[in-house]
Amino acid sequence: MSKDSRRLRPLRAEGTPQTGEDTMIRRTLLKGVATAATLAALTFTASAQTRTTIDMWIGVTGPAQEQILGLAREFNESQQTVTANVSFRGQYPEQRAAAFAAFRAGNPPHIMQMFDAGTGDMFGLPRATIPVSEVFRRAGMAFDPAQFIGPARSYYSAADGTLNSMPFNVSTAVMFYNKNIFRAAGLNPEQPPRTWPELIAAATQIRERNAAECGFTTTWLAWIMLEQFSALHDLPLATEANGRGGLSTELTFADAQRAQMVQTLIDASRNNVFRYGGRSNDAAALFEAGTCGILLQSSGGHASIANAMRTRNNEFGVAALPHFPSIIAEPKNGIVGGASLWVFNRANMSEAEIRGVAQFLAHLARPESLVRFATATGFLPATQAAFQQMQASGFFAQNAGRDVPILQLTRGTPTSNSGGYRFGRWTEIRDMYHEEVERALQGQQTAIVALQNAQRRGNEALRQFQRSVGN
Amino acid sequence: MERKVVYPHLVLPYLLLAPQLIIIAIFFYLPAGQAVWMSTLLQDPLGLSVRFVGLENFEIVLSDPAYRETIARTFLFSILVVVVALVPALFLAIMADRVVRGASIYKTILIIPYAIAPAVAGALFLFLFAPSIGVISWPLRFVGVDWNPRIDGLDAMILVVLSSAWKQIAYNFLFFLAGLQSIPKSLIEAAKIDGANAKRQFWTIVLPLLAPTTFFLIVVNVTYAFFETFGVIHSMTQGGPGKSTEIMIYKVWYDGFIAQDIGRSAAQSVILMVIVVALTVVQFRYIDRKVHY
Repeated sequence: MSKDSRRLRPLRAEGTPQTGEDTMIRRTLLKGVATAATLAALTFTASAQTRTTIDMWIGVTGPAQEQILGLAREFNESQQTVTANVSFRGQYPEQRAAAFAAFRAGNPPHIMQMFDAGTGDMFGLPRATIPVSEVFRRAGMAFDPAQFIGPARSYYSAADGTLNSMPFNVSTAVMFYNKNIFRAAGLNPEQPPRTWPELIAAATQIRERNAAECGFTTTWLAWIMLEQFSALHDLPLATEANGRGGLSTELTFADAQRAQMVQTLIDASRNNVFRYGGRSNDAAALFEAGTCGILLQSSGGHASIANAMRTRNNEFGVAALPHFPSIIAEPKNGIVGGASLWVFNRANMSEAEIRGVAQFLAHLARPESLVRFATATGFLPATQAAFQQMQASGFFAQNAGRDVPILQLTRGTPTSNSGGYRFGRWTEIRDMYHEEVERALQGQQTAIVALQNAQRRGNEALRQFQRSVGN
Repeated sequence: MERKVVYPHLVLPYLLLAPQLIIIAIFFYLPAGQAVWMSTLLQDPLGLSVRFVGLENFEIVLSDPAYRETIARTFLFSILVVVVALVPALFLAIMADRVVRGASIYKTILIIPYAIAPAVAGALFLFLFAPSIGVISWPLRFVGVDWNPRIDGLDAMILVVLSSAWKQIAYNFLFFLAGLQSIPKSLIEAAKIDGANAKRQFWTIVLPLLAPTTFFLIVVNVTYAFFETFGVIHSMTQGGPGKSTEIMIYKVWYDGFIAQDIGRSAAQSVILMVIVVALTVVQFRYIDRKVHY
């Protein structure tokens, strides 16, 4: 045992002084290994000599991750000059922390996938990235931002129309409902609630007839109850065109309408008409387990819900998010969620690297790539062409409900309130909203006080961000 | 009366200490120094714009009433974790000490939880106490307890205290057992001959003789509660609902990694460091005197 381990050790700890004989044997061995390795490397690089490596970091798991890795593999096999090296670096927030740390150390990835709420931070740090439009211009490749669906384009574009990041996995929030539970409650499964009063009535009936343990639940509280809600009802979140006009933006969401939404949740918490399922994605499990009859969730969760419902032998439907007719008669479009792809402004990036980045992005934005990605995951096709291709192939006719999110995103004429928003430190401000609303749900404060607290704390964070970026 | 040993060499002792000192310097003093330096800077998330702001970060953090609540909560949480981790451990150790047959099997079973990572312990308890599907929350509902740690701050606190302490019970058990076994049997027998009952034996002989062990465990458990419980909180409640389970170490991580405010996060880690150093000094200076070795 000890003899063997002594033999093995020198290979690992190179440079440790050894006895003469040992060292000799080791050197000869190492030389042999090194020569063989160099030869292998030489033969390998001979064929791939001209290949430029492009690093992309992603923060998604499951089918979405498999699809992106598959697209990269396909891209690498399709040409001889660029190797796209895609790696998973933890969920969105961890991946962002890793990418930012790498940037500080002077070695960020070429491309990173940044979730919706981080968009404002990136816009506030223009020196760190190269706008996607400019990447294509420098690479000498044609690129038309208008190919992307409107709400995604406006969310990720600067005021002059430059596309700063490329929309990729686009989603929006919709309503899922369990048709079996609807039937058991004596509700019409083909007539989902369209408004909040209708939804509350349906959820109450589910509880009264004891068709399920809870009426409805929601994922991503701030994204759905504050951001989507404000866009749908054409209400501003903040001054300066929802932050797109500048960093001096101030939050203004503490008003009677937003409070009415929170109050509705507080009232419905009695008798489990509404059950709070946590800040992020966890509430989806309550719907998938048949505990709740209705779920408000990202369209990106479609595949997982469809799977769960199949195993339970339950039918489900998809419908647009409800609205308050007392606030708006015809609801506006929803806003996009998901993530976009940003190109880091690396020091001394070569022309070959710029071209490689542009080629890989172009490959990802091809209609066939996006159609495959959207079909497998439940995310939406990010370009018009991909959407039309899915329509033409009859995908939406065969998969009921999959067109609901895209119709909700593109309906009507967007206003400055429904065209997205842009705030630094929005990830943190979302959690401030979560914390304050959770305290209201516990009965520690009223709905309007919760919103006022979230707004005050949020504004402090915005000012701190404004100062930190040197403005 | 202490006898002092004087080494004739000046260099050798330092040379022998060097490996340890280098490790401490690289892995403790260097990062700690960096944290102190960063706590005086205002910088954007990517470090493109960095400004020296002196003690401003400390001012912002300490003038925030929510942060002062977090400090108070951290103390409450730590005291609860230490008590819940020590008392059952002592009880189990006394019981295990009495077992004659199959003692090593019981001991091994009781030690197992220590091998489990805090985050895994958190995940286990999350399943056990999950509202509506948890093995423990299900019977709780039948006895009329409306258990929901997602929305009830008190339930959430109970949950994180239990799961943080549970893992530590195994560790404490091990030390208490060793302490109990080193108590001379003759003392207990003498007490028995004098007619002392079990309760009296425990309070007048066992507990005082366990004092050094208890003191050591309090120091270790306080440090554990302040720092290592991060994994439990991160995997179970993320500091919520509201801020009801947000402790200082969690907020350091949150402000640094999620909010990307390095200066404020560094200021908090400096405050945390000062508190824990102060606590340890107090424990050694004052409690140590009352302990008889």
